[in-house]
Amino acid sequence: MKRKLSLFALPYAVWLALLVVIPLVIMAVYAFTDSDSSAATLENFTDMGVYASVFVRSFRLAAIATLICLLIGYPAAYFMAGEGPGFQRVALALIMLPMWMNFLLRTYSWMSILENNGLLNQLFQKIGLFSLIASVSGQEIESFQMLRTPGAVALGMVYNYLPFMILPIYSVILKLDKNLLEAARDLGANSAQVFLRVILPLSLPGVLSGVTMVFVPSVSTFAISRLLGGGTQMMLGDLIEQQFLGGAYNPHLGAAISMVMMVIVVLCMALMNHFGEGEEQAVML
Amino acid sequence: MKKNRRIGSRFLIGLVFLFLYAPIALLIIFSFNEGDSGAVWKGFSLHWYASMLRNRLIIESVYMTLLVSLLATVIATFAGTFAAIGLYSLPRRRRDAILTVNNIPMMNADIVTGVSLCLFFVAFFQFWGRFARWFNGAQTAFALPERLTLGFGTLLLAHIAFNIPYVILNVAPKLRQMDGNLMDAAQDLGCTWMQGFWKVMLPEIKPGIISGALIAFTMSIDDFVISYFTAGSSTSTLAMTIYGMTKRRVTPEINAVSTLLFLTVLVLLVIVNIGEIRQERRKRNASLQGVPLGEKLRRFFATRAGLYAKRGLTAAGVAAFVAAVLFLTRETQSIPVVNVCSWGEYIDTDLIDQFEAETGIRVNYQTAESNETMYSLLKSGGADYDVIVPSDYMIAQLIEEGMLSELNYDNIPNFQLIDPRFRNLSYDPENKYTVPYAWGTLGIIYNPTMIDGEITSWGALYDERNAGKVLLINNSRDAIGEALMYLGYSVNTTDESEIRAAYQVLDDASRRGVFQGKVMDEVFQTMEGGNAAIASYYAGDYLSMLENNEDLRYVIPDEGANWFVDAMCILKDAPHMEEAEAWINFIASTEASLANMDYIGYASPNAEALEQYPAYYEELYGEPMEPEIYDILVTPPEVLARCEMYENSPPDTRALYNRLWIQLGI
Repeated sequence: MKRKLSLFALPYAVWLALLVVIPLVIMAVYAFTDSDSSAATLENFTDMGVYASVFVRSFRLAAIATLICLLIGYPAAYFMAGEGPGFQRVALALIMLPMWMNFLLRTYSWMSILENNGLLNQLFQKIGLFSLIASVSGQEIESFQMLRTPGAVALGMVYNYLPFMILPIYSVILKLDKNLLEAARDLGANSAQVFLRVILPLSLPGVLSGVTMVFVPSVSTFAISRLLGGGTQMMLGDLIEQQFLGGAYNPHLGAAISMVMMVIVVLCMALMNHFGEGEEQAVML
Repeated sequence: MKKNRRIGSRFLIGLVFLFLYAPIALLIIFSFNEGDSGAVWKGFSLHWYASMLRNRLIIESVYMTLLVSLLATVIATFAGTFAAIGLYSLPRRRRDAILTVNNIPMMNADIVTGVSLCLFFVAFFQFWGRFARWFNGAQTAFALPERLTLGFGTLLLAHIAFNIPYVILNVAPKLRQMDGNLMDAAQDLGCTWMQGFWKVMLPEIKPGIISGALIAFTMSIDDFVISYFTAGSSTSTLAMTIYGMTKRRVTPEINAVSTLLFLTVLVLLVIVNIGEIRQERRKRNASLQGVPLGEKLRRFFATRAGLYAKRGLTAAGVAAFVAAVLFLTRETQSIPVVNVCSWGEYIDTDLIDQFEAETGIRVNYQTAESNETMYSLLKSGGADYDVIVPSDYMIAQLIEEGMLSELNYDNIPNFQLIDPRFRNLSYDPENKYTVPYAWGTLGIIYNPTMIDGEITSWGALYDERNAGKVLLINNSRDAIGEALMYLGYSVNTTDESEIRAAYQVLDDASRRGVFQGKVMDEVFQTMEGGNAAIASYYAGDYLSMLENNEDLRYVIPDEGANWFVDAMCILKDAPHMEEAEAWINFIASTEASLANMDYIGYASPNAEALEQYPAYYEELYGEPMEPEIYDILVTPPEVLARCEMYENSPPDTRALYNRLWIQLGI
């Protein structure tokens, strides 16, 4: 019987080969070939040094965004797990809800908040912040430049991917065995010790998958940097998009950059998983 | 103490929700704004909702999004469940190998998945084209289509591909938890495998299937990147439409759509949650444990909440089915179609309706951002346009690469109306491929209230005194061309040192923080809203901006400027040749040219239209046209003499432009 059932796996294996493995192989072929003659070459990789600063910027901004998400997301998830079931149900729904509106809509909304004549600057104007600055430092300013800065891009990432940090941490903390905490307390640990030595290590798998789920989309985004960075904060995603559908058509270089990014991300994740297994079921809601 | 902590923790959670929901609340509030700004409140109005319902682009993309997400979810849930069952009866080692591959799409960045799928589809289409040509040549019984393009099919495949792993990941743990002997027991007791599956296995793994389907749907709805690379030019999901709009002028109709979407989801969520709570309460009251699932379902559906759930499910199922059928019938209906690609804000949309009414040909009108992005789209196989409207230098390049089709001017009699000044230009010396669409200049637009003095030189774009107030145009040809003109070089120079010198000007200015950003059509919103003081852009677009901000001025600098012609061409092997020629002929007519000239603010090459426009304007608006405005619209010959047209540059120079341009960004 078991034999027969395994036949179900066969079409899926073929499907995986066709739509996951072969596309990646084709991408690798593009990365190692020339754009004019399609002869094998390493040029796409050796030319990449020019873009080192884009790599650095992408990884730095993504790391900052991930850290901020962790600093906000962990306490939020922890406190949420300590609330009553009704509160939890509503809170969970509220965290999921924005994901059903497309992220571009939510990001676009930030544009009108951060513009020079946007809502935030209007608010600063109303409360007299600019005249205060003028009287203190003698500097006349009409607005803060917030849109089209690295900060705006990081903000966009935190805003869009925060739920991906909260959800896995929350689901891990929720599943913690309460007897363990009681045992720790019985054995004389104070609440700080219980948190640091029991809860935190046990919730690490959730943290790890949260970090992955925030970091990977952050490092490769191009819509957020395009909308909130205004073309001044070029990220890896922008660079790749430029080579395929943007102004600098060269899919060979684009494929090479994608490959390098993929390898670096995989290495980062492997290094991180060295410290503990990621929570496989984290993507379960 | 405890109470304090509780307040503290709720305060933090409250802050997180404030952060998550403030932008959404703003979107909703400004959907009721009378004006079209996202930051200035002008009074309550519902007119954006009304105009949203008339916006074909938005309605079609909402429909496309729902259709793709629903179909992909249903297919992926079904396939994923069976794949998971199959996987769990494989020996452990092989199962793990497949599961590792299964995890790749989830671990990979979306852009890598999107790009690799795009390359795969395009490679497959090339292979298929060769096969179909051979097959059609070898026999005559039936013909295979030779030309496949990215579109709904590839979009759906891509969505299914990234959805299945999520379903498997959710179903697998339930299978692991299930006692393997259960199925054997059921079969020993005389069940067939199918009966066992329905009665034993399905109830066990049902929660996994449901949450898998939910996640798959969420991922589909939220996706932008993978769709962007696999949908091609003629299929557009809501996210793609929004992305296109944020690059132009975002209409508050988008706010209206988001409000409706948000409310729909909110209502659904509330219904589901209430249903769950009631169910739990009932469970606690009268334990249903041990009652078979069919009975459980029957009892549930007999209750009032269950009745609604049943109706909801039926309605959703019927709706999905009807949507699918509608879509398929629409696709197979043989209405003549023409696919047109042009620039944003570059046509009087009434003309499209008029053409459709007159000829019965459906116009699929799309826009690209710049000549360069359109070229990429054509090259990557993502576009299935018939008519495109590129600029002079790009036309020359496309002709050189053999990508355009020669026109049959017998089908385009209105070509005779084109002013001889605009025929046989350098990009198409014998005029075999093109019919000019519009012409104009690239100059400086500035807001005198935000800077001191007048602008007369391109140098203003690079001047440190204007730091943070300048918008650089976001395409290599124009941006580097401006710097070349500033330095007194020709915009068509192929001298590498001159081009590098121009790049240096841009790079210096960029390092000193002169540029606030790089923009294409975002320039409309930014300049109109007074968010930047200086930008270089096209004369006609200046006239559109002037309607929303009277302070703005336009100047052609002393060093001279670029003048351009955009012309309509038909792509080689275009599937709708006749329709495309009909469209070109329609647009070249005097009436269409006049309407277009008035709407887009660019001069037409139609000799009659140029002559009649002042009278047309006076009749339309009841006042004569101001001569300064007319001079900006129709550049006088003595000014035009100072301007230079871009010519097609050799591949080396193009590669240099591309390299320098990317370098400037980093």
